[in-house]
Amino acid sequence: MAMTAQEKLDAKREKEYNKTHKRMYKLKPGDIVFNILNYAFFILFTITCIFPFYYLFINTISDNTLVQQGLINFIPRGLNINNYKALAGVGDLGYAFIVSITRTIFGTALMVVASAFVGYLVTKQEMWHRSFWYRAIVITMYFNAGLIATYLNLVMLGLTNHYMVYIIPGIVAPYNIILVKTYIESIPAELEESAFIDGASYMQVFTKIIWPLSKPILATIAIFGAVGHWNSFQDSLIYMSNEPKLYTLQHRLYIYLNQSSNLQASMNSGGEAAKSAFAAALNTKVIKYTISMISVIPILIVYPFMNRYFEKGIMLGAVKG
Amino acid sequence: MKESQTEKRGAVDYIYMVQRVIAIFSVISVFFPFMNPTRICKLVNENTSLFTAAVSYSTLTSEAGRALRMNWLSPAAFYVLYAGAVIAVIGVAFVVVGGCMSLGNTKMKRGGILWSILGSIVEIAGFVVTIIAYNIVNSSTMSTKLDKVGPTFPVAAVTYIIVAAALLVISVIILMALPKAAPDEKMEMHPQYKLFLMVLPFLALAFVFCYLPLWGWRYAFFDYQTGGTLSMSNFVGFKWFTYLFQNGATRADIVRVIRNTFAMSGLGLITQWIPMAFAIFLCEVKNLTFRRFIQTFTTVPNFISWVLVYALAIAIFSTDGFINEFARSIGLLAEGVDGKNFLMGDHLTWIKMWAWGTWKGVGWSAIIYISGIAGIDQQLYEAATVDGAGRFQKMWNITVPGLLPTFFVLLLMAVAAVLSNGLDQYLVFCTAQNKNHIEVLDLYVYNLGLGSGGSIPLSTVVGMFKSVISVILLFGANSLSKALRGESIV
Repeated sequence: MAMTAQEKLDAKREKEYNKTHKRMYKLKPGDIVFNILNYAFFILFTITCIFPFYYLFINTISDNTLVQQGLINFIPRGLNINNYKALAGVGDLGYAFIVSITRTIFGTALMVVASAFVGYLVTKQEMWHRSFWYRAIVITMYFNAGLIATYLNLVMLGLTNHYMVYIIPGIVAPYNIILVKTYIESIPAELEESAFIDGASYMQVFTKIIWPLSKPILATIAIFGAVGHWNSFQDSLIYMSNEPKLYTLQHRLYIYLNQSSNLQASMNSGGEAAKSAFAAALNTKVIKYTISMISVIPILIVYPFMNRYFEKGIMLGAVKG
Repeated sequence: MKESQTEKRGAVDYIYMVQRVIAIFSVISVFFPFMNPTRICKLVNENTSLFTAAVSYSTLTSEAGRALRMNWLSPAAFYVLYAGAVIAVIGVAFVVVGGCMSLGNTKMKRGGILWSILGSIVEIAGFVVTIIAYNIVNSSTMSTKLDKVGPTFPVAAVTYIIVAAALLVISVIILMALPKAAPDEKMEMHPQYKLFLMVLPFLALAFVFCYLPLWGWRYAFFDYQTGGTLSMSNFVGFKWFTYLFQNGATRADIVRVIRNTFAMSGLGLITQWIPMAFAIFLCEVKNLTFRRFIQTFTTVPNFISWVLVYALAIAIFSTDGFINEFARSIGLLAEGVDGKNFLMGDHLTWIKMWAWGTWKGVGWSAIIYISGIAGIDQQLYEAATVDGAGRFQKMWNITVPGLLPTFFVLLLMAVAAVLSNGLDQYLVFCTAQNKNHIEVLDLYVYNLGLGSGGSIPLSTVVGMFKSVISVILLFGANSLSKALRGESIV
């Protein structure tokens, strides 16, 4: 991965910092004890963060009878991926997976475009009553009418039990608009001015200059938005009461975790193939684990690559002022 | 000559205001169900707005399924009604285009007027079709089912027709009064309005999803049953507000819920320093690769949903989870004896919930402090070392003061959010046994309104109190921050 200039500088600074620190400490016995305790604490804590995922994973790829007997604690045995194959045939899960994936893609794409566009427009001083409209958007971050009033509003708009309830309310995201606005303000104004002198319209400036230049911040809000969409289950729970086909994966997981009887029902609804596969290894524990794994794998895969953007995100949030 | 022209322009400008106001009125009323001109009989849900009726035929006929199957009335009525709704909404869209174009130069204004004229004619046509649909309902309904179908004359449609006709007249007047644009004039608009119109759709979305919910607060003043209607006959004024405090059971619930909310938020507040300590000690890990590794993996839990945290909790702590199986495998738990389910029961619920929250969030919250530490001037540390300060002295006297401003801001934000614990965590971990200690305000509102409680008005009242108190807390925290640090936090 190519390092940016800023990162190189950071790495250099870190090295210098370490040099000075090494010079400062001649390791006394107290320091050694401190270091051991410190390392031990962080190793233990990191293990508590990783182990549950590992435990789930090895239980889903091991022999189901061994899992049932509780013999898979640290090392997987009897490797197979039959559980995943079996669950692929369950209709409920297939719908839920498609709903979750599509809402993540469309919801995030629309949110990012809207945030970039609005973020750009509110930097324009000449807009009619600019600060008033900007404040009107920002205030919504700190004030909301509450769960029930929001629900009643969506009922009134006819959005409940409708796929669009996942997408439309999330398009205008005030916090992301602030982030983009702050970022665009840091882009040299001369770039825009020269484009205007050459006769460019606002739309052209936005698509040709602002959008390409603000890609780092857009990537950051996109990744946060995508995680939010993927993890969201409250909206599915509250607004989809009559439309089980539109449940998200997280909501399905919640239902399965709470009611084992649902597993039986979905087994019957899945085709013949699914039935026989389940019959071979009908084991609520394993099924719960496998569905959990399916819901978490996308995040675990994406996370290491996007780590940089995540951390950038929290720093941007800190400087918004 | 010139002066009289500007005067004339000024007068015409007022008429434009009427044009725009009518456009705004039309577009807003399209979304309000109580102004719905398509409610021509009881079979149309009273929660359906004109917009909903026009985009979704299935919503329009959602309650009419039985009537249509049993042939109580001619199905043509609903087809005609739907057509009317679609035509009317298209008309409103034209009117809006006209209203927007009236912000431009003379040439654009003329174009806008044409759109307005076209739009008002289409609107009128749409509402006339609606009234025709009403007549079809009236004439085709079986006389025995008249009370079930309950045709009602759509008064709203007449109102709309009057408004649209007014717009038509005004538009024609403007068209006459407006001087013709110069033939070489191009359609242009002042940048300030152009920018405003570009941001307008998003402002509209913010209005619809963030401000319009306030309209839902009216449910607090009605005796509303789920699926019922709001009308003056069940208006109860402040009944639910007093009920909240006078009814013994509800009062006890509120006290319990507030206690839980404050307990969990309070635990969060007094342990607010933990991420800071985490960051400080993590920076004492001098191996950079290892530090990076820890940092990466301790932030993972922050990015999984609470449902997944619950799934992990089940995998580790339930009867056949890791802890029990591991204990069995090393002989601590005898074969054939059932393990203990650590997720059941009501033992130390507050602490457990706090622990889950901390496990999930501490690595993430520490990042902001870690970068804070990187920003502290290294010379301070060097000077302190020369003066003979030890590791802990440096931490306490240099690092901690350097991080305090950040800590303070986050603490104030947490104080402002003391009532908002969120719903997800407590919902997924809630069981019959621990409900007494886990039900926080957000969960209580959910249960009361949408869960087992089934009382929309009462939960709306609780939600109103929560919203208002939260805003007061936020402003309080903000002015405290201004007074103490001279900076605002919002």
